[in-house]
Amino acid sequence: MAWRATWQFGLILVGVLLSGCGNASRMDDAPVPDLAVPEAGRAATLSLACSGCHGPAGGAIAGLENYSAEQLQSEMMRYKTEPEGNSVMHRMMRGYSHEDIEAIAAYLGAEQAE
Amino acid sequence: MSPLYHSRRQLLQGLAGAALLSQMALPALAQTRARLVVVGGGFGGASAAGAMKHLMPAASVTLVEASPHYYACPFSNLVIAGLRELDAQRFDYDGLTARGVEVVHDRAVDVDSIAHTVRLASGDQLAYDKLVLSPGIDFLWDAIEGYGREAVERMPHAWKAGGQTGLLRQKLEAMDDGGQVVMAIPPAPFRCPPGPYERASLIAHYLKAHKPRSRLLLLDAQDSFSKQPLFEQAWAEHYPDHLERYGAADFARVVSVDPDHMVLTTEFDDFRADVANVIPPQKAGEIAQRAGVADATGWCPIDPLSFASTLQTDIHVIGDATIAAPMPKSAFSANLQAKLCAVQIARVLGGLGPEPTILTNTCYSFISNDAAVSITGVYSNDAGRLQSVEGAGGLSPLNADPAIRTAEALQAETWFKTLTQAAFG
Repeated sequence: MAWRATWQFGLILVGVLLSGCGNASRMDDAPVPDLAVPEAGRAATLSLACSGCHGPAGGAIAGLENYSAEQLQSEMMRYKTEPEGNSVMHRMMRGYSHEDIEAIAAYLGAEQAE
Repeated sequence: MSPLYHSRRQLLQGLAGAALLSQMALPALAQTRARLVVVGGGFGGASAAGAMKHLMPAASVTLVEASPHYYACPFSNLVIAGLRELDAQRFDYDGLTARGVEVVHDRAVDVDSIAHTVRLASGDQLAYDKLVLSPGIDFLWDAIEGYGREAVERMPHAWKAGGQTGLLRQKLEAMDDGGQVVMAIPPAPFRCPPGPYERASLIAHYLKAHKPRSRLLLLDAQDSFSKQPLFEQAWAEHYPDHLERYGAADFARVVSVDPDHMVLTTEFDDFRADVANVIPPQKAGEIAQRAGVADATGWCPIDPLSFASTLQTDIHVIGDATIAAPMPKSAFSANLQAKLCAVQIARVLGGLGPEPTILTNTCYSFISNDAAVSITGVYSNDAGRLQSVEGAGGLSPLNADPAIRTAEALQAETWFKTLTQAAFG
């Protein structure tokens, strides 16, 4: 899908809120808000929950900064679909649709592009 | 490169948990000069203040919190059981100040929702465009006869962390072997639904190790409780001689206490205690009543999309004070509600409406010094209320390999670090 291929989608809401913006250089321009892209808002709010546990603290819960969108999506889908899994992540991901998982992965994975 | 983007990247480097928020700073909203006031510096309020400043750097964000320090409740049961020091629970507000939040150490005593002002104990007034109340809980002092403010020295509640946490620990340490510890557990809803049972596990752990002829008696106003099968399995396995529980079906709700004689009275019997821990019934923090955002239940109804009060305009309520069930009154919930509330306030100030999303909760409870169990919930907010997503969430497995319990104890450590860093870092 086109939006997945556009790393700006995940980079910042600003990027997608600039109407028709397709390249990073526009970000240096004065912002012209276009508030008609609600999908980016949902990807962003969905991802807020992740930061409750996944941070820079280190230890037994992985930070998310070193994973690509593809890796994140594949891991989240594995958690969602393993029927016998009973870890916190297994129990959690069963509550997310495939579309939401794709959106979170694109949003968080793209962050590394910065 | 505008200064905004520059600082956004700097923030990205420096802020715990902010990576996920950093993408959301909308330039139009970033320029808002709105006056944003937050009351209450716990996991909810501290997180909300930080997130709003991050999303809207030109806005003035003021956090009102009476105490210069915050003592975290999660992990405080380990302190009571002698497995952790109270200092490890203590956080301050220097991190928020450094991030541009104005922190006012004063007590909010009233809110004028018409004039949009908060009155402080000092007499000062703060004007707001949007007010976020994160007042936590207060106790219903009249609910258990004899348990008023003066009783907490002899029968600590330890349900707000800090001095009370240390006091309960001291009383356990001073108790002779062979003594009886009695804990009174209130009816739901209360802060941290699994908290009393984690505390019971850890006190039993302490007794088994240090006062083996002693025992803990739970007088519980509830019949069923959070993580019940996991706790009951752990108690049968680890503490069969040190912990006994009576529930509501046994008429075990504590109706009165006599602190002078250390007696707790249920609907059918009196129990003498050498150490008593009375967790009183609760309501939203007092300022919620003053602001008119609490209803007849004592708690605060909210719009599940934005955590806006349904009773007053331009006031949002987050954390333990809210009616957000099935989302529990937990630090994790408060932190997530704070971040979501901040985003939705930014959207609304920018002319966007709040929009639905998925929320979660995860919390861990220790069943011994190095073993923990967890509960997970996933919630939608698009049907006018928060509701559990079917087929998701749940408990750690029963009859699990001990390695799973150890692994979850280690996860709990990271959970605590991440959550406290996100709120106070």
